[in-house]
Amino acid sequence: MSEIDMAIIKPEMMKPYIWLETSDGSIQQVEQEIAMYCPLICQEIIQKGMGSSKNCAICLPQRVSPAMLSLILDYCRFHQVPGRSNKERKSYDEKFIRIDTKRLCELTSAADSLQLKPLVDLTSRALARIIEGKSPEEIREIFHLPDDLTEVSGACENSEEKLEPLKNATDDPRIRLLNRLYAKKRRELKERERLKNVEAEEEHADERSVDDLLSFINGNGEDPKGIKTSKNKKKNRRKKEQHQKSTSLKEASEVNKKEINGQNIRHQSAEVDRIAETSNSHAEDLFAQKEFDDGDIDDGIDPALKEKIDREVADFARRLNSDWPERMQEFLSSGQEKKTMLFTPNGNSFLRRNACMCYPSVLNDFTYPLYACKLNFHPF
Amino acid sequence: MPRVAYSFPEEVLEHVFSFIECDRDRGSISLVCKSWYEIERWCRRRVFVGNCYAVSPATVVKRFPKVRSMAIKGKPHFADFNLVPEGWGAYVFPWIKAMAVAYPWLQEIRLKRMVVTDDCLELIAKSFKNFAVLVLTSCEGFTTDGLAAIAANCRNLRELELRESEVEDICGHWLSHFPDSYTSLVSLNISCLGNEVNLSALERLVSRCTNLKTLRLNRAVPLDKLANLLRGAPQLVELGTGTYTAEMRPEVLANLAEAFSGCKQLKSLSGFWDVLPSYLPAVYPVCSNLTSLNLSYATIQSSDLIKLVSQCESLRRLWVLDYIEDAGLEVIAASCKDLRELRVFPSDPFGLEANVALTEQGLVSVSEGCTKLQSVLYFCRQMSNAALNTIARNRPNMTRFRLCIIEPRAPDYLTHQPLDAGFGAIVEHCKDLRRLSLSGHLTDRVFEYIGTYGKKLEMLSVAFAGETDLGLHHVLSGCDNLRKLEIRDCPFGDKALLANAAKLETMRSLWMSSCLVSYGACKLLGLKLPRLNVEVIDERGPPDSRPDSTPVEKLYIYRTVSGPRLDMPCYVWRMEDDSALRIS
Repeated sequence: MSEIDMAIIKPEMMKPYIWLETSDGSIQQVEQEIAMYCPLICQEIIQKGMGSSKNCAICLPQRVSPAMLSLILDYCRFHQVPGRSNKERKSYDEKFIRIDTKRLCELTSAADSLQLKPLVDLTSRALARIIEGKSPEEIREIFHLPDDLTEVSGACENSEEKLEPLKNATDDPRIRLLNRLYAKKRRELKERERLKNVEAEEEHADERSVDDLLSFINGNGEDPKGIKTSKNKKKNRRKKEQHQKSTSLKEASEVNKKEINGQNIRHQSAEVDRIAETSNSHAEDLFAQKEFDDGDIDDGIDPALKEKIDREVADFARRLNSDWPERMQEFLSSGQEKKTMLFTPNGNSFLRRNACMCYPSVLNDFTYPLYACKLNFHPF
Repeated sequence: MPRVAYSFPEEVLEHVFSFIECDRDRGSISLVCKSWYEIERWCRRRVFVGNCYAVSPATVVKRFPKVRSMAIKGKPHFADFNLVPEGWGAYVFPWIKAMAVAYPWLQEIRLKRMVVTDDCLELIAKSFKNFAVLVLTSCEGFTTDGLAAIAANCRNLRELELRESEVEDICGHWLSHFPDSYTSLVSLNISCLGNEVNLSALERLVSRCTNLKTLRLNRAVPLDKLANLLRGAPQLVELGTGTYTAEMRPEVLANLAEAFSGCKQLKSLSGFWDVLPSYLPAVYPVCSNLTSLNLSYATIQSSDLIKLVSQCESLRRLWVLDYIEDAGLEVIAASCKDLRELRVFPSDPFGLEANVALTEQGLVSVSEGCTKLQSVLYFCRQMSNAALNTIARNRPNMTRFRLCIIEPRAPDYLTHQPLDAGFGAIVEHCKDLRRLSLSGHLTDRVFEYIGTYGKKLEMLSVAFAGETDLGLHHVLSGCDNLRKLEIRDCPFGDKALLANAAKLETMRSLWMSSCLVSYGACKLLGLKLPRLNVEVIDERGPPDSRPDSTPVEKLYIYRTVSGPRLDMPCYVWRMEDDSALRIS
């Protein structure tokens, strides 16, 4: 029987096939109907007459490996069936792209080279969703990309971005020195605040009996309440020590201040620092928040510059240690003077300016009620 | 294990990027590696500059050569409350000039709190052939002549929105400058214009622009003209009425009601100046479809308000005066189950006594009944920790919470305690809270809560709160995502600021006015952190003429990559960084 006779008797046996060659050199037969779904293949068949036999197999682009071709053909096989609903297609697509990122990338690339736009869109969107919400490090990790951006230039004009400057700020040796000092002072501040609260707690007397205490000391720590209370006691005792240390620190700094006129400032602040250092080493475990690195850092700066920085840091340390209540008092009393000047006929702005200076008084401030938002009302 | 990059051709990567629009993600992409940086910058179409002084126009156009849409913000938020003196800056002209050269295909410009002159508008009108969108929010400096230039030249204009801008209204005929052949208008917002516009020109414009979806009229458009305008644009989705009062005539009411019924797509209503309640029934036909209702100019009583809002079952956003009262808010809690955003404005903010029966209870009711509520701006005269606690527990999905108790430093009215615990509950339970405004009597403790729990907080507004530097320290050291911090009249000084100096480089800006930050500290900050512009605003004269320990009037600190700005007025001093000290 001739081929044509066969076609009449069993038409379904004569589905035309075409030959495709993938990047690895292997050649395979694929249903023409399905392969034609890819514009590139379609073009090769129609315009160049390729693919009808093994000898003139269509050479697929380099980015199309056999595995990718297989996936793409699955996609085409499903979508080229005309009767499917949008819902069906969407559902298929959603399952189709649930593959690992590496294959998703290959698939995007392959689909693009075959000009199969719907699949390119589908895979691109999937990749976009993977990228969204991730940090640059995470993206690099996922796509195996090199970390080769050394300049920060231009990376920061969008103020919504997390910036490199923060890293640079801590790399700057002057900032690092300052930061170490700030960190110490912060801990001190926090400690003092804690102690204020702790002292309030300590008002409650320990109501356990002498027996309980003895049994605890002797190691019969069955009573959870007992243990807890005693632990607190221990903590409180430690805090008390630190409190004493920090008060002595405060006293020391006061003493230092008095002696400062003409003295070597740097020397004395180093004293202050050393005291702060020892008391704060206990404070470490009480504070859960992240701190700047307190270890010795080889800053690698030239000594003359270091000295200049040290002097500035010491100067700054003095300012931080200065008596807050005194300054507040000073400020408030200057405010008092200005208050009496309020009723001069100098107009609204003077009044308002000085109302702001007299911090406690708000009666003259016309903008407070608007503070939360702009009100565009005509007065009525 | 050797890392092999998943390589793509550039066009494919560009195509992937085209599905990524969010600025933050675009930023992340650009920081991945050199090749992605390059590809990303060439295909970036939309740029948002949160602070016009954070970067120079030249830098932006150089990095992003193919931008189609620019959004820029200028003055700090507190400019809205007259805390930023005249002539401070935020001039958009240098930006327009740079873009006129670099982006001939620019389509969209969106500006907020910037100074826009007629020259700018004229330059826009003649430089961008495809110009389509101009949105000016809280801007100033231009007149209707500038608008005329836009109308006359921008053939492809789709959106012209003047939101709350100060426009010198020279001539209402600027609207006539839209040529008769012009039909592409989609959105027109002239609600802030003071004077009349040429009504017949408006009517003709509205009826020939068949794609018009948004029309926000100004107060000067009389009510009896509204029906005609609506008939000319039955496809409208968003409408802002003009004045909503007229002599009561039944036929006018009937006419108006019929016109409203014809607008089947209407989803948003605003305007409502000078409402005569008997005309309100005209909008009843569209109420059930409304998703957004702005009644912040409607000075009508609770009963009329209730009649209106109780029919708005699809409402997602409601802005209303406190005339709504607790009773009205209860009705809303029962009827508007889809409500996402509520703003209640004070009808008499400067009055000493309450003029309406609106208390914390109203907000509590809404927080109970409206399960999707996530954005609140609420003015009231009393608040309690208990109420705030209830609100917090009811609505852990809250993302924006701005409370303004009208009397500064008002304590919990039941217990006379500070409101620390209440706001603490808000930040603790609302884990996605991004914006918070505080009021009432608050100690350092509230800031401790904010620093501990406010991990997603991006913007914080503080007034008349706190006791010591510790308060500010808690916020600066605890709020990991803080971008904007604005403070007025709080006893925060140098310590917390200096101890957290590095934090300032991770934020967009910090505003402090009437606080206790000394000039010396400002100088130190300016010296140590060259990537910040530390600007002292002081109308008393040069800060050098006073001791270093003197507190500055106002302080505005923002990060920048473009160095000092050159357009500061005489009362702004920038703290210099000492280039001699820098280690290059």
